[in-house]
Amino acid sequence: MDPGNDYRQELTRRALLGRGTLGLGRIALGTLLGSTLPSAQSAASAADGRSALPHFAPKAKRVLCLFQSGGLSHVDLFDHKERLADFAGQELPASVKGTQRVTGMTSGQAQFLVVPPIAGGRRCGQSGRWISDLLPHLQGVADELCVIKSLHTEAINHDPAITFMNTGNMLPGYASMGSWVSYGLGSENQDLPAFLVLVSQGSGKNPGQPIFSRLWGSGFLPASHQGVALRPGSNPVPYLADPPGIERGERRALLDDLASLNELSAARTGDPETRARIQAYEMAFRMQTSVPELTDTSAESAATLARYGPEVQKPGSYAANCLLARRLLERGVRFVQLFHRGWDQHIALTRQLPNQCRDVDQPTAAVLRDLRERGLLDDTLVVFATEFGRTVYSQGGLGDPSSGRDHHGRCFTVWLAGGGVRAGIEHGATDDFCYNVAADPVHLRDLHATILSCLGIDHARFTYRFRGLDAKLTGVEEARVVQEILL
Amino acid sequence: MRSSAPRSRESSEPREHPAHAVLAPLALALLVSSASGGGDERPLDYNRDVRPILAANCFACHGFDPKTRKADLRLDRAESAYAEREGVIAIVPGKPEASELWRRITATDPDERMPPPKAQRTLSAAQQAKLRAWIEQGAGYAEHWSFIAPVRPAPPLAGLQPIDAFVRARLAEEHLQPAPPADRATLLRRVTLDLTGLPPSAAELESFVADPDPRAYERCLERLFASPHYGERMALPWLDAARYADTNGFSIDGGRQQWLWRDYVIQAFNTNKPYERFLVEQLAGDLLPERSEETQIATGFQRNAMVTHEGGTIAEENLVIYAADRVKTFGESVLGLTLGCAQCHDHKFDPLTQRDYYSLFAYFDGLSEAAHGGDGGVDAAPTLEAHSVLVTGEEDGLRARIAALEATLAAPAPERVAEWEAEQRAALAARGQGFALHPVKLLKISTPNSGDGFSILDGRFALIERPLGLAAFDVSMELPALDVPISGLRVVMHPAPEVPAAGWGWGGGSADKHSFVLTNLSLSASPVQSDQVNLNRLLAAGGVTANCWEEEQRPEGVLNTSASEGWSPELTHEGPVQLTLSFDEPLAVAAAPYLTAQLNFGRGGDLMAKRMEFFAVSGHDDDSTLPASVIVVLQTAPAARTEPQRATLAAYCSAHGAVFERTRTDLANARERLAARTDAFPVMVMDTAATPRETRILRRGNYADPLEAVTPATPALLPPPPPGAPADRLGLALWVTMPEHPLTARVAVNRFWQMLFGRGLVATLADFGTQGEWPSHPELLDWLAVEFVASGWDVRALLRTMLLSETYRQSSATTAEALARDPDNRLLARGPRFRLPAEFIRDAALKTSGLLVEQLGGPSVLPYLPGDPWREISHYGSTPATAQSFIQDHGEKLYRRSLYTFWKRTLPPPNLALFDAPNREVCTLERGSTNTPLQALVLLNDVQFVEAARAFAERILQRPGSDATRLAWAFTEVTSRAPAPAEAALLQRALVRGRAHFAAAPEAAARVLASGESPRDESLPVVEHAAWSQVAALLLNLSEALTRN
Repeated sequence: MDPGNDYRQELTRRALLGRGTLGLGRIALGTLLGSTLPSAQSAASAADGRSALPHFAPKAKRVLCLFQSGGLSHVDLFDHKERLADFAGQELPASVKGTQRVTGMTSGQAQFLVVPPIAGGRRCGQSGRWISDLLPHLQGVADELCVIKSLHTEAINHDPAITFMNTGNMLPGYASMGSWVSYGLGSENQDLPAFLVLVSQGSGKNPGQPIFSRLWGSGFLPASHQGVALRPGSNPVPYLADPPGIERGERRALLDDLASLNELSAARTGDPETRARIQAYEMAFRMQTSVPELTDTSAESAATLARYGPEVQKPGSYAANCLLARRLLERGVRFVQLFHRGWDQHIALTRQLPNQCRDVDQPTAAVLRDLRERGLLDDTLVVFATEFGRTVYSQGGLGDPSSGRDHHGRCFTVWLAGGGVRAGIEHGATDDFCYNVAADPVHLRDLHATILSCLGIDHARFTYRFRGLDAKLTGVEEARVVQEILL
Repeated sequence: MRSSAPRSRESSEPREHPAHAVLAPLALALLVSSASGGGDERPLDYNRDVRPILAANCFACHGFDPKTRKADLRLDRAESAYAEREGVIAIVPGKPEASELWRRITATDPDERMPPPKAQRTLSAAQQAKLRAWIEQGAGYAEHWSFIAPVRPAPPLAGLQPIDAFVRARLAEEHLQPAPPADRATLLRRVTLDLTGLPPSAAELESFVADPDPRAYERCLERLFASPHYGERMALPWLDAARYADTNGFSIDGGRQQWLWRDYVIQAFNTNKPYERFLVEQLAGDLLPERSEETQIATGFQRNAMVTHEGGTIAEENLVIYAADRVKTFGESVLGLTLGCAQCHDHKFDPLTQRDYYSLFAYFDGLSEAAHGGDGGVDAAPTLEAHSVLVTGEEDGLRARIAALEATLAAPAPERVAEWEAEQRAALAARGQGFALHPVKLLKISTPNSGDGFSILDGRFALIERPLGLAAFDVSMELPALDVPISGLRVVMHPAPEVPAAGWGWGGGSADKHSFVLTNLSLSASPVQSDQVNLNRLLAAGGVTANCWEEEQRPEGVLNTSASEGWSPELTHEGPVQLTLSFDEPLAVAAAPYLTAQLNFGRGGDLMAKRMEFFAVSGHDDDSTLPASVIVVLQTAPAARTEPQRATLAAYCSAHGAVFERTRTDLANARERLAARTDAFPVMVMDTAATPRETRILRRGNYADPLEAVTPATPALLPPPPPGAPADRLGLALWVTMPEHPLTARVAVNRFWQMLFGRGLVATLADFGTQGEWPSHPELLDWLAVEFVASGWDVRALLRTMLLSETYRQSSATTAEALARDPDNRLLARGPRFRLPAEFIRDAALKTSGLLVEQLGGPSVLPYLPGDPWREISHYGSTPATAQSFIQDHGEKLYRRSLYTFWKRTLPPPNLALFDAPNREVCTLERGSTNTPLQALVLLNDVQFVEAARAFAERILQRPGSDATRLAWAFTEVTSRAPAPAEAALLQRALVRGRAHFAAAPEAAARVLASGESPRDESLPVVEHAAWSQVAALLLNLSEALTRN
């Protein structure tokens, strides 16, 4: 049907072979949407650190990262200590507090008084995992969770910490987790980007800490791997909607003419980019149908909607985004990341934290159940993460309604579920005050290495040549896959 | 035409350049380096062939860094590699079998094998063979090429322009022929884009193609060099390198003013400031004996870096980050070295110690900056109030324009006042019709920065119990069950005895009555209760009234998120004050019974309301935006009005009537423009602190673990500074611009080469170190570098040399075979072709459409964005920082060149970022060139491009002639060539189809033409205009429109 097609495929395949990694004039067909076109696979040469991907059999094909932005309180929600209540209102022992640095917000405090969790909790499921009563729905899926209690980071302020957690470096300029995965594995859906991002505002604190597009940016990787932020409304993807007055038929006709003109031009100049651009326009046209279709949840059953809770009816809420995430994962999107803002409880902990928990509790449990029921959880890795935890001691006066907890990077909790990880276990432990790692420390680099491992990627061999270095998601320091939590 | 057959080096060289007849053996080896990996009979060169293998696989443990060195063996130094250790010699020159290195890299025992398995590196058979051959050939070492000053090599072929001589000699080695010259039209498009960032017009093209002067091309170059757009174009890559942006970057990412530095860069290129001077001023303009405003503005180069105003920041940590970023930027953009590794440890690949690093760091560590800075839109210190250095000569014109616009507003045209009056009278007539207030049930109030001090009383009042600082409050409420639709919301602020002088709100503490400024009121409706306003579903509310206001703080100020505009009730008013929003679409309570209001008291510190009550409104609002004095006049029959009454009406219409909004916008823009040319503005600059910080080496780069102190010094691996150079930034500037500096000129000419040829002679622009890529044409690079310095660092002369080469002027047309042979065109056997940078794509559409506003320099502008994506990720409502919400500009600011687009680092403009524009957080020298569907969506659907197509169609229709003539002209405007018959026929069919389509759907045609804020030529028939706008869109989307062939 299209005599140019074979030529195009052949040209692109050959042009992509043996390429370096950066530079202009790069023929980008293989990275139109990070898609796994045959040409893109053959393009993965030894030079660009994607050779032989996956390095071993993957347990997970895709990732859902539920990122709790602002610093979720491990003390209140997951890291329960039977004896902590005994120390309520007492000064945190100096032997525990040590000499480690604290942020400029509490470093001047005269006292560091212990505040036990603001709510009760219970041991849940067969695993007996302790989860706060502020998260009752999550308690119901406790046996799905693989809880890491000994995560730690060097960063103690938001910008460096959230950048570190999402890009492997505290400073800007590096590629985000999702863009690495897009770069390495591409997309399974040719009509959607490989990496999609959904942002929601927290009910606990509004506005929450600012977030930045670098958290889903591609850094030094090609820009086609950057996360695409989906927004609620008529333009979920920037510029998706046809302009006013333009109907689909007219747009189709314009694209047909455009393809014909571009084909004539490519024949003159032998420019493979032009041929790739013809395909890009076709994909754009398909996205204009596929994206509204996926964001339209009207066909979801009442039972499904109810499972996500009442907030699912609010466009752009965390609940609505969880449902959307499931629909994206069903369609083969490689990496879906939610950012829920508002977890920065320096003040008004007792007022803000229950609201934050209510935002995420039911939808998070729902998406786990939904994925499980649809058979997707087996090969979808769910990562429930944050940039750091919070201090066991009070920021502000004890009992003051305006008091809260400061940032705490020394130890905090994240949990994983689904593809590749052992359900119903916990790994690592903190001391009696949730303040220091007591056993099995897991640096966030180790978490990155472990996530990649679930996807069949050896983090040490997954590199991109930039500024004289073989850059890795895990950076230049040693990283270790947490084998203990893997199936 | 000159023969394109390459000449042999042997025959031409001695005759042409006797002084350089004998080339160093090293240089000869360089000459034959291979890009295609072809035949390898030539002798191995250590730097080119061997060092990269050793560096990537061995140096980490057997290299420069003593901390990681194993077995005390260095393979980067001959004396260590050749030395005997316990009877074992790593490398015995000439004898691979006697060399331990050979034995170990070929060992099969994992315990013996090098590199060891845990290093995750393996040598390929080819790499092993290369190392063996190198040992056989004597295992010679050499200094890294880029650390040795370049010596002017003789061009290898006589009778050719030197660039062509070097390139063709290399092609001959590969048995390749250069491409024929590009046709004149293609050449003009290429050079016009390269030098101005804009495509040539059809008229320029016609005159150039027809110009019989053999020096037409040379004349064309001079014309382009003289264009003010040259400076804009040249500034762009430097803005990337210097990470220029309009926000602070870290965390809250508040706004800053730094555009005076951008003006400096544009002016520097437009006046052809020598590159050496350009660097000296930017590095040390504050330390020059002849320092001026201009040289100090220049130092903004190293203040473009990101800063933070995040609360918990530890000062010392951030000060280290700031200085490290300056080292990185200086290293990558000026030295062409990636120095960052040495922040934590001695460099593993380049001979650069941690001491070297911190000695360089010390140059950039001594200014009087604070770790926190830049909040509230105030530039982080140190700053300077200064005037733009740009000379544009537009001041008189601006003054005349301002006077004309002021005259228009001073004597508003009576027919337009009448038009406005008719609208106002209609509104007054409708005022209060069917009006009813419905009490709502308040559910909750919250604010981000306090746990108490606010409450709901009886479900009726929202109370703010004490001043709570700059903050927004979210109030959620339940609407009463009504069967009439809700048309709006009223908020009533009650006087409160507890606040000063029984005012409406908390004030600044004096006995005077105080008032607040409500800077924004946002609403969302929902089927479920929502504590927070839903930013994704803000209710459109175009109407707003109040029962009183201060003259400068009118009610409509609450409709936008600007902190400078907002409603403030009149201080003399007695009793409650109220503000009423009217929705664009009435709200059915049953579908969405919950409403959330966000009230932002975003100005005036503690000033905020005390006791607030909310009502749902049905029917027509019974308040007005008109003051009583104007209402009285409107209610007087026109014939009965006094002269002062008529004047009141006209003045009010001028000042506030929608009919004069465009005029007011134009006037405000013109005034701002004039101010930018004549007034002083802040810019962030370098200085020297009264007591500069002591710089210490930091263990593993950790600010909290300082080691010994260091003073400013240049790296030991490079030649020392000139005698007498001070140990400060001025000394650094003098060092880096020494004529004999081995890197500076090479790095600069390489960057300019990339700009014209799509990739550098050294492809790794920021890395001329041992891990960088080997130059494709080492001698050419050196020749250009030496010439550049000899010319007095004359950038224009350098570009002219490149542009006059046949290498630049050859055709970019290619074949699949040629592409496969050399996909990146490293050998330059064809002309350079690449997709245009993001800014050029938008600028070309603006120019072609006639919308481009060709103003040079000035403050950044905020053209169209879809919605307000900033507010969704920012700290809006919780901070005095600016740039937390997107407030679009209007008028001419929508059509400025893209390098003036306001750059918010945490969310750069998507229509540019999607075309690989960097976020400007860090130094960027190479942009990617991706090709994605999201780019197609920008060009097809972004209002900026849709409007450009509409305006382009107007330009086309304003031209006389047949369809065919117009189509040919339009095609040429976009692609810089005439359409082929098949293309012309296709366009004609598209036009005919469009006409038929829109003739059957005139309403759609009208909607198509409504995109964008620029006025449409209403004399053009709607259907015809719409049909042409689709042809225009088709043209603007052509792959060739985005490509420079």
